[in-house]
Amino acid sequence: MVDTLPILRIENMTKWYGDNEVLKDASLTINKGELKVLIGPSGGGKSTFLQCINFLVKPDRGRIWLDGKEIIRARKKEINDYRQKVGMIFQDFNLFDHLTALHNVRIALVRVKGMNKGEAQERAIRELDRVGLKSYMNQYPAELSGGQKQRVSIARALAMDPEIMLLDEPTSALDPELISEVLDVIRDVRSGGMTMIMSTHQIGFASEMADEFVFLEDGSIVETGPPEKILYKAQYARTREFCSKITELYGNSFS
Amino acid sequence: MENLFFLQSEVVSALVKGFIVSVKLIVPSAIFGCIIGVVIGALGVYGNSIVKRIASGYVLIFRGFPLVVQLFIWYFGLPYIGIYLTPFVAAVLGFSLCSGAYQSEYIRGAFLSIKTGQTMAAQALGFSRIKMILFVTLPQAFRRALPGCGNEIIYLIKYSSLAYMITCIELTGEGKIIASDSFRYTETFMVIGAIYLLITSVAAWLLHRLEHRLQLPGFEQYT
Repeated sequence: MVDTLPILRIENMTKWYGDNEVLKDASLTINKGELKVLIGPSGGGKSTFLQCINFLVKPDRGRIWLDGKEIIRARKKEINDYRQKVGMIFQDFNLFDHLTALHNVRIALVRVKGMNKGEAQERAIRELDRVGLKSYMNQYPAELSGGQKQRVSIARALAMDPEIMLLDEPTSALDPELISEVLDVIRDVRSGGMTMIMSTHQIGFASEMADEFVFLEDGSIVETGPPEKILYKAQYARTREFCSKITELYGNSFS
Repeated sequence: MENLFFLQSEVVSALVKGFIVSVKLIVPSAIFGCIIGVVIGALGVYGNSIVKRIASGYVLIFRGFPLVVQLFIWYFGLPYIGIYLTPFVAAVLGFSLCSGAYQSEYIRGAFLSIKTGQTMAAQALGFSRIKMILFVTLPQAFRRALPGCGNEIIYLIKYSSLAYMITCIELTGEGKIIASDSFRYTETFMVIGAIYLLITSVAAWLLHRLEHRLQLPGFEQYT
């Protein structure tokens, strides 16, 4: 499933907030079909890193290549085209509150991709069906549970046919009993071969799915490696400390 | 008998004429005011720092100058630079610009109340800024701003009574003529006041219906 074509290459991503360097020269390359999981303490730069990747946060330095083509940040049109290929899932879902589930999924197809409404509608219904929410398509976000909202947001991202998806702690804002329905959907998308970068504290789920763990602390990528190496045989003391705490908390196996 | 004749022949027709002029002033001013409000409000939130400053300067001036003074400038001042407006056009211009300044603050507040997460989500989907505003934030901001905007429209109905100051004879202007001809100030202005009350009541009812129609789950107005 995994071939060696790098789909996304990020080099020396750096971000300052005032005097605070929240991201320090973070570099990452991800091949088609891979899943890389960002782990690390809160405030360590995981969210900033993910948001810099699709320029929701403007990095102070750093370059990005998608399919070997560098993204020129000064060209707005280019950024908007690039973002369509990079799906983003947020911790707190960020559905559009004035639109039903169906229209949340459909709106970008119509307004950004310029698809006609009928075609977009069909596609949106298909994506909602895929995340198990076809029967909820006429509900507004205020009428959905957290888990359902997150599944709608995944459907919304998938409908754009992204080449890669960024997931920023997709289950952190959920009640415990709603986490598994979202993880099931992510597992399903993953088994469809989607390339993903995900930050999470669901370490059991992540180690079962990930090709690689990336440990981020204080804005730096401390260590990178296969899940079992990072979790049990990490090179740096700081990584070991974090991993032992988090496995204790969340268990080392999801199932 | 004489009184009744006076009422039928003079007063009613004058008041009807004034009422029609008032409505003709109010409706376009309310519409233009809302449009200006949305544009200035959006620029005040989503513009770059220069644009934001222009937007807040607009509000400062048109909210800060007394409306009568603004009307005098449009009607009596503009001819000095060779621009002659009819009283009606000058009044609609003055009302729209002033109403727009107030409306823009309601709209701006409503834009700011939308969580930044939604604008991030729109950008992440590839929305351009203008499309994001049109299709994601404006529909929500408009719903949230509606009670305030309605308030401003009610207020506009009443300050439309300033138009007679620049010789655009609307309801209040007709009233003033009747009153000074007949010396029946109290009766005349009681009737005029009641007509304004009627107009504002109808407007409030229409606005309430609009709010109700635009209501969505998550956007309830608790009354």
